[in-house]
Amino acid sequence: MELKKIDKPDLGLFLQNLIKDFQVEGVKRKGQSVYGQSFFYGSINAPDELCLDFDCTTMPPKKYFIPPKEELLKFTIAPKPEVAEVIESKPLIIFGVHPYDLKAVNQMDKIFSEGNPDPNYLKRREGILLIGVDPTKVSPRSFWNSMEAASVSSGFDLMLTDIGESYLVEVGTDKGGNLLKKYAKVSSVTKEEEQKRIDVRSKIWNMCKKRALNFPMRELPSLLVNSLNSPLWDEKASKCLSCVTCNMVCPTCYCFDVWDDVELDLTHGQRYRRWDGCLASDFAKVATGENFRETRAARYRHRFLRKGQYLFSKLNDAACVGCGRCAAYCLPDIADPVDVFNRLKEAVK
Amino acid sequence: MDKPRVAFFDFASCEGDQLQIVNLEEDLLKVVGAVDVVSFREAMKGHSDNYDIAFVEGSITRRSDEPRLLEIRKNAKILVAIGACATIGGVNLLKNFQDLESVRKFVYGDKFFQYETYPARPIKAVVPVDLEIHQCPINRDEFVMAFKALLMGKKPEFPNYPVCEDCKKAENICVFEMGMTCMGPVTRAGCGACCVVEGSVCWGCRGFIDHPNADSEREVLAKYGLSVGDILKKFRLYTGFSEVSK
Ligand code: SF4
Ligand code: SF4
Ligand code: SF4
Ligand code: SF4
Ligand code: SF4
Repeated sequence: MELKKIDKPDLGLFLQNLIKDFQVEGVKRKGQSVYGQSFFYGSINAPDELCLDFDCTTMPPKKYFIPPKEELLKFTIAPKPEVAEVIESKPLIIFGVHPYDLKAVNQMDKIFSEGNPDPNYLKRREGILLIGVDPTKVSPRSFWNSMEAASVSSGFDLMLTDIGESYLVEVGTDKGGNLLKKYAKVSSVTKEEEQKRIDVRSKIWNMCKKRALNFPMRELPSLLVNSLNSPLWDEKASKCLSCVTCNMVCPTCYCFDVWDDVELDLTHGQRYRRWDGCLASDFAKVATGENFRETRAARYRHRFLRKGQYLFSKLNDAACVGCGRCAAYCLPDIADPVDVFNRLKEAVK
Repeated sequence: MDKPRVAFFDFASCEGDQLQIVNLEEDLLKVVGAVDVVSFREAMKGHSDNYDIAFVEGSITRRSDEPRLLEIRKNAKILVAIGACATIGGVNLLKNFQDLESVRKFVYGDKFFQYETYPARPIKAVVPVDLEIHQCPINRDEFVMAFKALLMGKKPEFPNYPVCEDCKKAENICVFEMGMTCMGPVTRAGCGACCVVEGSVCWGCRGFIDHPNADSEREVLAKYGLSVGDILKKFRLYTGFSEVSK
C-alpha cells in the first residue's frame, strides 16, 4: 500500500491544478434544511467550492455513472431503417466520495459488466477517476458500519483521510498515483501518522455504531427468506406513497426504463433510458397490462428482498451500503432498512 | 393518407394552454404541417365542424356549456382534454366549496342574475374523454409527445409516478425539510417538479397519480404541522373534484 501526505494548505493547490486540466466534480453546500446543511455533488470551479467535511450528500454520485436520463440510440425509420448507438462519456474526477458510496460503485461496476455488459456504463466508467475521502461526520440515519461499508480496499484511485494538520492519501491505482505525482505536493508518511489514520478511522467508525443491525449482516438472506410472510410488510407499506424517493436517492439502485421518441416528421428518433424504481406502481407492469407487483406491500417488500437477498446471491454482499438516505428522505419514514431488518429479526427469534 | 383534421375549443379557462401551443416556436410549424387545423380561435379565423381530433381546454361551469361539449364529442373521433381546468377542473373548482350565489355576486356584481353558474367540473364529468394532457398550463414537450403519439396511432404514455421522482432527479432539497409542505407525493410527475425547482412547492396541478395514497399524504401533512382545515385546502386547490366523484 502506498501512502502519502498532503499538508492541508497544499490541498487547495492540488485541486487548483486538477481544475486546470480536468472537469472536477465534488461535494458542494446547497441550502439549509431542518437537518442543517445540505450537500450535493456538482461542478467544482474553484478550490473553496469543495466541501470535504460533509456527513452525507442528499443524492449519491450515481448520476455520473448512470445519468437520470440518457440517450442510447438514434434511429431512422424512413426512407431506410437504420440504427446507430450513442455512447457518451467524458473524463472527469469525482473528488470526495465516502467509502459506503465507493462500495456502491464497486457493486455497480460488477452488475454492469457481468452477464450482459452495458457499453454505456462501461465507457463512462472508464473516464471517471474517483478520489475517496473518509467521513469526519456521521449523518443521523446512516449505519454503514454494520453493512461492511466503513472502508473499501478498492474502487478508489486515491483515498484521503483527514488526520488533523494534513490529509493522508492512499494510492489505489496507477492513474491515481500519476495524478498525485503530476499535480500534488506530497511528502512521506511517518509511522505515527500512519497510526493516526487508524485511530481517526476507528473513532469515526465507532460514531456510526449508534444505528446498527442487531445481528451480523451476513444473516440477511436467510432472515429475509424466513420473513416472506411477515405482517411487517403490510403494516409499513400501508403508508407508502409509491413516491420512489427511496430508489432515487439510493446509491445501489440502478434500475431504468427504456422508451423511444420520434421526431415530428415521424422518420427518425432516439431511444432513451431514465432512472426507474421498484416502488413505482407501474414498475412491474408489462405490455399486456399485467402488473406483477400490484400491491404496495409487494413492491415495498421487493426492495428489501433485493437489497438483502436477491442481490446478495449475485454479489455475495448486501446491496445496501447503509448510507441512510432512504431513511432520511422517506416522508412517512417507513423506508429505514435498520428498522425493518431489526424488526424482522426480532420476530423470528 | 389524408391529414387528420384538428380543432381546438375552450370552455371556462384562461386560454393558457392554447397559448402554450401557439408558443411552440419551431415545433409549431411542424405540428401545423402534420395536420389540417380547421378551428383554432386563438390562432386563426374560420371554423368547420368536420374534424377528427378535438383538443378541449377549460372546465364546464354552466349547464348551457353542455350541449356545445356534447356536439364536439359527437363530431370528434378523438377528444383530448388539455390543461388542469379540463382534466381535473382546475382552480375553477374552488367555487364549488363556496356558496355559488355569493360567488356570482362577487364576480358579476349586481348583474349577477344574468350569469348562470353551476359547480365546475372537468370535461370527463360530462362526456367521455379519450386522452388527458395535464398541468396548468400544459407543458409544450408533453403536448408534442402526445401529439406525435396520436399521429402514429399510438396511445401516449404519461408518467404514473409522483412528482417526487422528478424532484429527486432535479436534486432539490425536499420542501418538507425546509418548513413547507407539498402535494408532490400524490401528484402525477412529468413537469420536472418545475415549481419546486423554482423555489415554490408542488400544488398538485397535474392531478393525482392513478393510485394516490391520500391517507398517507394527509398524515405526512399533519406530521409537518398542517391543521385538518389546511390539509383540506391543500387537497381542494387542484384535486377537489375527486372528493365529489369518489
Ligand atoms: S420513500 Fe417511503 S413512501 Fe416513498 S416509495 Fe419509498 S417507502 Fe414508499
Ligand atoms: S437501501 Fe437505503 S440505506 Fe441502503 S444503500 Fe440504499 S439508500 Fe442507502
Ligand atoms: S389549466 Fe391552467 S392554463 Fe389551462 S386553462 Fe386552466 S388555468 Fe389556464
Ligand atoms: S419537495 Fe415535494 S415533490 Fe419534491 S421530494 Fe419533497 S414532497 Fe416530493
Ligand atoms: S410541480 Fe406540481 S404544481 Fe408545479 S407544475 Fe408540477 S404538478 Fe403542477
